[in-house]
Amino acid sequence: MRSRSVSANAAFPGVALLWLLRKETRELIASRAWWVLLFAMGPLVGVTFISAVRTYAEASGLNGTAAGVGEAFSPLIGIWAPTFSACEVAAVFLLPFVAIRLVSGDRQSGALKIEAQHPMPSIARMAAKAAVLALAWTVASLPAAAAIALWKSYGGSIYPSEVATVALGHAINAGLTIALAAVTAAISEHPSTAAILTLSVTVGTWILNFIAAVQGGVWERAAAFTPPAMVATFQHGLIRLDVVLVAAILIAAGLALAAVWIRTGVAVRRRLRESALCSAVAAAAIFACAFATPSWDTSESRANSFSEADEAALARIHEPLRIEAHLAPEDPRRADLDRKAIAKLRRVMPRVEVRYVSATSIGLFEQTSAHYGEIWYELGGRREMSRATTAESLLETIYDLAGIKAPAESDEPVFRGHPLAVPPRGAAAVFYGVWPALVAASALFARRRSA
Amino acid sequence: MLQVQSFTKRYGRLPALTDVSFSVREGEVLGLIGPNGSGKTTLFECMGGVLPLDGGALVRGGRPVSARERASMLFYLPDQIAPWPAQTVRWAIEFTIGFFGGNAELRDRVVEELDVAPLLDATIGSLSKGQRKRALLAIGLLMPHALLLADEPFDGLDLRQSRDVARTLRAYAAEGRTLFLSIHQIRDAARVCDRFVLLSGGRARGEGTIRELAALAAARGASAGDDLEEVFLALT
Repeated sequence: MRSRSVSANAAFPGVALLWLLRKETRELIASRAWWVLLFAMGPLVGVTFISAVRTYAEASGLNGTAAGVGEAFSPLIGIWAPTFSACEVAAVFLLPFVAIRLVSGDRQSGALKIEAQHPMPSIARMAAKAAVLALAWTVASLPAAAAIALWKSYGGSIYPSEVATVALGHAINAGLTIALAAVTAAISEHPSTAAILTLSVTVGTWILNFIAAVQGGVWERAAAFTPPAMVATFQHGLIRLDVVLVAAILIAAGLALAAVWIRTGVAVRRRLRESALCSAVAAAAIFACAFATPSWDTSESRANSFSEADEAALARIHEPLRIEAHLAPEDPRRADLDRKAIAKLRRVMPRVEVRYVSATSIGLFEQTSAHYGEIWYELGGRREMSRATTAESLLETIYDLAGIKAPAESDEPVFRGHPLAVPPRGAAAVFYGVWPALVAASALFARRRSA
Repeated sequence: MLQVQSFTKRYGRLPALTDVSFSVREGEVLGLIGPNGSGKTTLFECMGGVLPLDGGALVRGGRPVSARERASMLFYLPDQIAPWPAQTVRWAIEFTIGFFGGNAELRDRVVEELDVAPLLDATIGSLSKGQRKRALLAIGLLMPHALLLADEPFDGLDLRQSRDVARTLRAYAAEGRTLFLSIHQIRDAARVCDRFVLLSGGRARGEGTIRELAALAAARGASAGDDLEEVFLALT
């Protein structure tokens, strides 16, 4: 009779998984860290949203200020990027503690010794935790949803695909944080060690970004896959397949490593071997995915794309294009060239090879060098030099080299922006009053119910 | 039912278990006796798959038991834990029955026999040591596994509770459940166990009933009679 029960349970792992999901959800609700995250999200989103709406309104002519034009009136850049940046702060400084509490709590209380005796694979146990943490993040993101509703109520324009892209970027960032925190919590004996390790990795990515900005080259390539850089891509309304795939691999690898290390009954040497294998597979997959070129510009303003006529013209060029730019990493012209021209070019012409040449990091002392500032283009054996860093000059040079006539001025509708000169009515009440009160009441209710 | 074969475990350079071997028989209450630091908990954690072994194996029917077989055969109830501290005892019992496919039909009986009913709506983190021990024993007895390993089941219990728990454990053993209990109070062990494994300094010093162990002690030149404490002292 008893052995039948065990067999039945093993035959229906879904039942055990459902119980585990229920347990993780209850543990999440019992976690103070989660309530703190929820409570803080209101004011965090409130500060950024209110400030963004005010700035947007001033730029749109509120209080007699001069109205701007074009990109300034894109809600993507003016409202959603700053508002959702609150999610980035929460993902870096609050979410890790929620994740660490959920993973380390079992070890601290001894529950792991009981749960680990179930034949369920440890990756399934870790997946249950990750699923509940993803749910936790979704609930914590509700203030951002409230910001969207408020913006709509002000009469603001909403372009769903660009808002969804920004939200996706922050969801991926949260996934990376959860995976990282899960690994550190699974490896460390104590939650405080896990917290220190998690924050160290985060600070490490900031350092990597700094080095990339100074050194360029390989560092720059690697920095493109750090969480802040990934989020920045999505904040511009761009979904890059390589970024999504690399993030997915990092999340999966993090959870797999955590699953390896919560198996306390397995010898450390074996866990080290499995970790090495897991890391090697992840590294190979990341290397392969880093070359995936498809990307989707979801912004209403087509901020990441050339005009459709230019894209059609560029698509007709099949030869590889080499660009050699004599610009230092910290030279603002290099940033202009890279972000406003080459990034758009890469989306249409996958066979673009860009090489930056510089002897120093800031370029200040290279200005006297005869070749500094030159940008050489090579296509089909022909070379041409230009010093301009604008998208227009880049296109002109490429058309010239390819022997293609530049497309005529198209009659594509030009994005004019959506100016909106309204103050953030009711936002303070929602984010500083209603939301914290709702969270506090829910926390009290949950506490009383469990007691 | 199960043989522990040459269990060896070290913490760095410190040996915790050295070549420990004995057998567990179906339907018996086997007591693991040893002073503090003798390796009882380490032995249980290795048997339960919570700690990795450096050497040795669990053997059944002449072949090593796989991790999956072990998970379906035995359940280890650790000492000094307070799992799911924010959850109520009622919920913890429901969860473990649901998660492990436990015996839900036994729930009311176990709760009554271990006097857990007054604790059902308290959170596990708020229980005293003895209350927590009873709640965890209830969970252990509700598990579907044929063999239950309980680390220090009487620790934290007063005299009356110890006797009640001993009676309950014996009743479940009489119904065919095999129990392996780690006990450092030899009198508690003598009251509840059929056979004993004596552990000292990480080594098994003897295995058998009190009479078998007394005979072993006598063979080594010590006259210990049928008193388990004297037998233990003579053999360790």
